[in-house]
Amino acid sequence: MGRIDRDVVIAVVLVVFTAVFYGATYGIRKTVYGTVGSEVWPRAILIALGTLCLIYLINSWRDRHETQGPRRGGGLRGWFSTYRNALLCFVMYALFLATLDYLGMLIGGILFVFLLLNLLGGWSPRRLAIHGAIAVSTMGAMWAVFTFGLRVFLPEGEILRIW
Amino acid sequence: MLIENVLGAAEALFTLQTMGLMVLGVAAGLIAGAIPGFTITMAIVLTLPFTYAMEPIQGLATMLGVFVGGLSGGLMAGILTGIPGTPSSVATTFDGFPMARKGRPGLALGIGVWSSFFGGVISAVLLMTLAPQLARVGLEFGPWDFFALVLFALTITASLSGDNLVKGLIAGAMGLLVATVGSDEINGVERFSFGFEPLEQGFSFLPVLVGLFAFSQLLSDVQDPVRARQPLMPPGAKAVRIEHAKAIREVLSRWGNLLRSSLIGVFTGILPAAGGSISNILAYDQAKKASKRPQDFGTGIPDGIIAPEAANNATAGGALITMMALGIPGDIVTAIMLGALLIHDVIPSPTFITDSPTLAYGIFMAFFFANFIMLGLQAVCLRAFVMVTRMRMYVLTGVILAYCGIGIFALNNIVFDMWTLLIFGVLGLAMKVLGFPLAPMILGVVLGHIAELNLNRALSTSDDLSLFFTRPWALFFLILAAYSSVFPWFQKDRGKKRWTLWFLPAMSISMAPPLFLMGGVVRPVIGGLLLAVGAYLLWGHARNGWRLKPVAEHDVHLEET
Repeated sequence: MGRIDRDVVIAVVLVVFTAVFYGATYGIRKTVYGTVGSEVWPRAILIALGTLCLIYLINSWRDRHETQGPRRGGGLRGWFSTYRNALLCFVMYALFLATLDYLGMLIGGILFVFLLLNLLGGWSPRRLAIHGAIAVSTMGAMWAVFTFGLRVFLPEGEILRIW
Repeated sequence: MLIENVLGAAEALFTLQTMGLMVLGVAAGLIAGAIPGFTITMAIVLTLPFTYAMEPIQGLATMLGVFVGGLSGGLMAGILTGIPGTPSSVATTFDGFPMARKGRPGLALGIGVWSSFFGGVISAVLLMTLAPQLARVGLEFGPWDFFALVLFALTITASLSGDNLVKGLIAGAMGLLVATVGSDEINGVERFSFGFEPLEQGFSFLPVLVGLFAFSQLLSDVQDPVRARQPLMPPGAKAVRIEHAKAIREVLSRWGNLLRSSLIGVFTGILPAAGGSISNILAYDQAKKASKRPQDFGTGIPDGIIAPEAANNATAGGALITMMALGIPGDIVTAIMLGALLIHDVIPSPTFITDSPTLAYGIFMAFFFANFIMLGLQAVCLRAFVMVTRMRMYVLTGVILAYCGIGIFALNNIVFDMWTLLIFGVLGLAMKVLGFPLAPMILGVVLGHIAELNLNRALSTSDDLSLFFTRPWALFFLILAAYSSVFPWFQKDRGKKRWTLWFLPAMSISMAPPLFLMGGVVRPVIGGLLLAVGAYLLWGHARNGWRLKPVAEHDVHLEET
């Protein structure tokens, strides 16, 4: 998708987003107290946002032929290869959060750092050892600082609880 | 009264623990600032979780240490390798690197360090003198004026954040919208939670900020798989002996440049949202314009290092002036500090300095002394920096992502905050990729509550909307907001189109009427001076036959410090 095509799509998505949120302002409960209703400020923002999005849409539509850049090769595969590392970080982080109740912050954190470093940096035996050492030492240190130094109750997870 | 406040603050600040934390903070800032791609804001964000358990003065002193250290750390990488450590030290490389390549890296570093120190000290003195005065002015502000000030802060951030003003304004409005999610502060009514229980309390401010800024920044840093696996810096950086004595002589013999650049830094910092990334370029350009030998700039001369380094450190003091006097963050770093203050139930406002003098003067003094600590630690951290540059970016990213999660969890002990971090990290990266600046959105999130509260107060006091245009301060800020909206076009067309010749005179003249309306003696005099400046600029253009002159080659854009 070219750059301006993309801008047009983003502008349309933003207009729809604004419309949905504007509609949601009618669901905000009206109170008998208070001079200014709770929906006034969000509506003011959404009207401004909607206007800006329409300007953005018009500008993107008008300029689409002038600045349409060369298409990036590879389609979906190209997109995945460009954002591979970012996607890996997001997916791994989401997995870390999803398993937090079971693994806890310490074990989950060590696994998260270890796996992410391997995915980003490579899986050679030497790297596995280095990444393992980094994951255990950094997460262990952080967990100790927060648990014993700052007295924060980090999620311990079911595994540690069993032990 | 002043002495009492200073003594009270000194008692709180000069404890072994607080001083130790400040030393750690400055050292961390120096190293973080020296690593390209690892901004000062990131360093502050990472420091924040450690401050939850501290006293407010300790936490803020530590963060100020990181701030000052970070501003000075950028020069190490810039001078030794030609790659600026932070956007605040971009202009330092123009002359710092050539001087180092000519065989004087120790002198170049010395000039950078001492200029940073003097710039920081000058701005600390101005912070102590100007912040209480500005706070007194702030006490005159009604809700109409505060609301107009927030609008100005958002428009100027949007206009300085990139080429596309509309995208900047959209980002700002999105930030304001994010701040409305959850329970309304005034009426206690739930908004935009869509029946999802964790959203009923809204998004916590810090997970949003860290997600938008730090999370997305880290992912940008590892986006290129090849670069992510390489050392942070190319080989070439090595520790050198800093030539202090010669550097002090060089800096002090150019006191005019030092003072001018420091003042540019302070006043850029006072401007809401403008930070060190702007002031260092502005100061460099002004030093070049004022020089008798402008052609020497870029070849490795001391003036080219003094100007950006004095300006970027001085910007910190300016940003703190606005935050402490008005409760409006001067840049993203002070936005995070504002968040840190809110965690400790301290709400900066015009009454902050009089209500919490120990904390306020503690901040002044911590900022002042952080500059001395920075001076002492520079040589030690230079060696640490050389070692750190051997690390790989992906290692830092993996560890810091996990650390961000723990830090954010520690804020409220809620796992949903970690999900917020992830969601806004995705959003932040998407916005970066699509060309939407993050700074206006962050400011929108921070200022959203202030804007709503003041709009509510204004409309509850009177339904007369004309008050936004008839009250002098509100009118003043709205005029500034209007001109800041046109600024991107001015910057683009400057030196090319004739209308730009009218921009500065018109702005100067339009700012005068609100000042006349304020009454008293000083402000109408300032108004008169602005009128005179506007008239003089117009006369100058008319005398030159409205000819367009070529402009400086460095554009001014806001980047995360």
